[in-house]
Amino acid sequence: MRILLRFSILFILTLLVLVVLSFALIYLFPGDVLNNLTGISAQSEAHRDMLVEKHRLDEAYFFQFTHYVSELFSGNWGQSFVSGLPLKEEIGRALPATIELAFYAMFIAVVIGIPVGCYAGLKSYTPVDYSINSLSMVGYSFPVFWLALLFILMFSLELNIAPLSGRISLLFDIPHRTGFILIDILLAKDIDTSLAMRDAFRHLLLPTLAISVISTASMIRMVRRSVIDVLNRPYITAARSRGLSRWQIFSRHILRNALLPVLPLMAIQITTLITNAMIVETLFSWPGIGNWLIQAIYQRDFPALRVGMLAVASLVITLTITIDLFNRLIDPSRDKYERGTI
Amino acid sequence: MTRIATVLICLASIITLGACSKKNTDTFYQSGILYCSESAPVNFNPQLDTSATTSDATAHQLYDRLLDFDAETGRIVPSLASSWRVSDDGLTYTFQLRKDVAFHTTEYFTPNRTFNADDVLFSINRWRQPSHPFHDVSGGRYPYFESLGIADNVAAVNRVNGYRVEIQLKERDSSFLANLATDFSVMLSKEYADHLMAQGDPERIDHYPIGTGPYKFESYRKDHYIRYRAHDAYWQNATSSQRLIFDITPKSSLRLAKLMTGECDAIAFPAQTELDIIRNRPDLELAEKPGLNVGFWAFNTQRPPFDNPDVRKALAHAIDKNTLLEAVYFDSASRAKSLLPVASWAYQNDAEDTAYNPVLAERLLRDAGIEPGFTMTIWAMPIERSYNPNAAKMAELIQRYLGDVGINVNIVTYDWTTFRRHLREGLHDSVLIGWSADNGDPDNFYRPLLSCGAIPSGTNRAMWCNDRYDALLNQALETEDLAKRKAIYVQVNALLNRELPIVPIAHAYRYQAYRKELKGMQINPYGSIRFGGVTKQL
Amino acid sequence: MAQFSLYEEEYHPSPWQRTWREFTSSHIAVLGLFVLAIFLVFALFAPLIAPYDPLQQNIDSLLLPPSWETNGSISHLFGTDALGRDVFSRIIYGCRVTFGSSILLVMIAMGVGVTIGTVAGMMSGVRSSIMNHLLDALMAIPTLLIAIIIVAILGTGLVNSMWAITLALIPQFIHYTRSFVRSEMKKEYILASKLDGASAWQLFRHSILPNMIEMLVVQGSLALSIAVIDVSALGFLNLGAQPPLPELGAILADGLDVAYLAPWNVGLPGLSIFLMVLAINLVGDGLRSALRKRVSH
Repeated sequence: MRILLRFSILFILTLLVLVVLSFALIYLFPGDVLNNLTGISAQSEAHRDMLVEKHRLDEAYFFQFTHYVSELFSGNWGQSFVSGLPLKEEIGRALPATIELAFYAMFIAVVIGIPVGCYAGLKSYTPVDYSINSLSMVGYSFPVFWLALLFILMFSLELNIAPLSGRISLLFDIPHRTGFILIDILLAKDIDTSLAMRDAFRHLLLPTLAISVISTASMIRMVRRSVIDVLNRPYITAARSRGLSRWQIFSRHILRNALLPVLPLMAIQITTLITNAMIVETLFSWPGIGNWLIQAIYQRDFPALRVGMLAVASLVITLTITIDLFNRLIDPSRDKYERGTI
Repeated sequence: MTRIATVLICLASIITLGACSKKNTDTFYQSGILYCSESAPVNFNPQLDTSATTSDATAHQLYDRLLDFDAETGRIVPSLASSWRVSDDGLTYTFQLRKDVAFHTTEYFTPNRTFNADDVLFSINRWRQPSHPFHDVSGGRYPYFESLGIADNVAAVNRVNGYRVEIQLKERDSSFLANLATDFSVMLSKEYADHLMAQGDPERIDHYPIGTGPYKFESYRKDHYIRYRAHDAYWQNATSSQRLIFDITPKSSLRLAKLMTGECDAIAFPAQTELDIIRNRPDLELAEKPGLNVGFWAFNTQRPPFDNPDVRKALAHAIDKNTLLEAVYFDSASRAKSLLPVASWAYQNDAEDTAYNPVLAERLLRDAGIEPGFTMTIWAMPIERSYNPNAAKMAELIQRYLGDVGINVNIVTYDWTTFRRHLREGLHDSVLIGWSADNGDPDNFYRPLLSCGAIPSGTNRAMWCNDRYDALLNQALETEDLAKRKAIYVQVNALLNRELPIVPIAHAYRYQAYRKELKGMQINPYGSIRFGGVTKQL
Repeated sequence: MAQFSLYEEEYHPSPWQRTWREFTSSHIAVLGLFVLAIFLVFALFAPLIAPYDPLQQNIDSLLLPPSWETNGSISHLFGTDALGRDVFSRIIYGCRVTFGSSILLVMIAMGVGVTIGTVAGMMSGVRSSIMNHLLDALMAIPTLLIAIIIVAILGTGLVNSMWAITLALIPQFIHYTRSFVRSEMKKEYILASKLDGASAWQLFRHSILPNMIEMLVVQGSLALSIAVIDVSALGFLNLGAQPPLPELGAILADGLDVAYLAPWNVGLPGLSIFLMVLAINLVGDGLRSALRKRVSH
């Protein structure tokens, strides 16, 4: 319980720092403070005065800030400077697209990375291990934008296996419900579900693959390292001497103990994963938060950047802290700062 | 987790069991046309905006005009007006309107009557009369009609009966009919306007459009896509596709890539470098025609030192146009001497041109008191247009040429909307931009680009105002005799060559790239793209 | 015949020599070091190696294919780009910009991180605890996000993007330095020095720092590979180095428009980034396993 309390305090504190930062951005960004906050260009002096008063910009910073926080909580996030659309809705559409992409990539990384990593770890310092290790080193060193480009050139333009932009052919008119395209397809009426599903899968193929190559490679390396470390522990020798079979040793002792230090590493991986997803989005015109933020910076859409930064940072930090907490809950003996290496 | 598992199980079953026949798939994929456009329209009424993006998305998809240009011959042909008559003094035009022309029925509006004279009066009076209730809706600027001075020249628009309209002009205007056939002279629905006014939400007329065109508006997500559906009750019997979707794709290389993978059926503005790729692919088609356009380099003549014609002349001599043509247009353009392209009847073959002469340029600069190390900005427009497929690259080349004569250049660019707003505010020193004409009339080049009246409407990028120039242009419109008009435009060219508010660089060819599956695609040299009558057959 | 040593003195290699010996036993790591050395030479002597000025446009030779293709010419080894610039020269200079700026910013981040981390590690109690938590949380914010914010405030440019990446790298150094210093402070030789009356600075300078260098080299190599990827990613997204500055990511983005027509404009700069990162990772990995083996022997 104390852990829960400590983590909630940490979580709230971090969010507070982020909110303060995003509030400070209103003043740090170039241009008009009112514009940066609301995204509305005042039509006249009177209109401006009205807006200033409404957002309490004429009061002390502290009151401005409290008002800002209350506005955030009531879902009033301002509007985009360029398109004039409400930011909450825009982010509500973009964020799930990114999460979806990152989730599938992570899924692939876990499904492939853990078994392969374990295998390499158990066979450590054999030719199989060396080749897996070298391959994962290669995969891990790819700049994601280049890899995605290579995929596009090869699989889309040369072989025409998979499409290269968007989440689904625009011929399908999928109404926005959850923001997760596969779920939305299942919820949509009046469309050919199987056709739409296949179309969506084809669109998912390349971006997911591009991200997961890198995530899988680092997953393999982390698991392998961890397995090797565990293998050298005395309790494994003890288990061997008790005459347990290889499989028993692996499933009872190695797997559990090797995966534990990998978990906090996954917290770091989340950051890389989301970053890669954001970069890949711009190449595949994936309508996610990365693409959206990059467009916003090109257009100097300051209100959008402010809220977008807050949203992404909160998401990443929530995930990280949750994983840390999870890790502490299942293994309280562990020092918080102890983390494996890649 | 359980939800995700359910979804995954569903997916697996769908993929394995639900494999549907190829016929079904084909029927679905050929039910709609995907057009990859280059940018988002400002709104859905081309009266309010002269950019090709807006008119591509609206003019020939959602609306009709009284008259049209024949895509082959360029002659004016009937559209919503089935016939017309011009009085002998050239001041009164009478139009007979077509009957039983249905407006769109959409989720947001159901029309109770068909097109008639009231709609014509409403559509024209909206841009003509400042006192009209809809004139100030959505900003109250009608750049095309303002820059050409048409709004001022129309004396009256009268309803003769339900299907006959009479327009009276103050002065003769030999280009008037052509102007009514351009993309911008669209016919709106008065009934819809009244309905919106009663609801107190008149601005919707330009964002949720109702017209008589082959497609009706379905939905729009800004910077993503526009969806249209076929207008089943369209008055022309052309079979169009059931759906039309504009996929907004700003990057030209991405548009080409999507064309190749079949994610687009047709694309806007293929880059000059990509033309050979398109020609060499068996599944793609490339149509080309000499375009009515001009790409140029305009100086902000209201900012010193660019208010000095000698400085402008020096800069014009400092660049080598032929190199620009090769590097930027890859020779798919002809060198521009004046504003008019070869395709125009008033083209002057022996117009004077500025030659590449850095020595002269340097001397002129020093005489004008511009010392080496002077810094200026060149604004490069962020999007591709046929008249300038790669402004950033052109700017880099010019940067080098000006470096040779001791001028530092900062290249400036913004997104298209911001770019044009700042241009209108006159924040630039010089800009690389251009103009696509809406009809073949020379007045359509000279007046919007450089007349005094075009400064507030935001098409005069040089912010240049010259009384003699405006007088010559007006004089040219008073005669129907083409030879006399041409003689006046020769004088205009000479004046421009002395003053050089802009340096004309190139007239580009117009290209239309599409997949072979599209049947019925035609290039429209006079204005924007048309999808009426286009279908897809896989 | 076995040779007897006359004296009872054994040869004791220094820890560094032993690490080096372990390192060189892995061929692949040595290969990585070799490639890295080539990149370093590129970075240092770009003007001497590059056959052309990277900004020199040549209208007569646009999009020439690389020399190994049938219609390529040897005068442009890697061909030319859409403005007729020599791709080989641009990549050489690109390595200089990308690699050079990455090394520079890793050194800055290391300097700042080690300073703060040491202070945090030597202090204890509430202040350090709060800082630890916050830093850990902030470490999770993606570099890309920090870069976007900095670009929004200061504008685009290589230097601004370097600030962003430095900022993003600092927390890692703080984190590792702090853990290292904390565990080291509990050891007895530190206690001994303390009892000898060493000041905090002396403790750090003479006792902690020498032991920390290995950790710093390993972390530095990790940070370097991240820095190279980030610098080029930001250049690629047009948030970092601005054209015409030859930076590998920006060169790659430049080539994007002609990717189908001239794939070498995308392939070669990307390959350079990839090789650079791979070499750094190989060296880093080799170092780590060498250290590990040295400790375990």
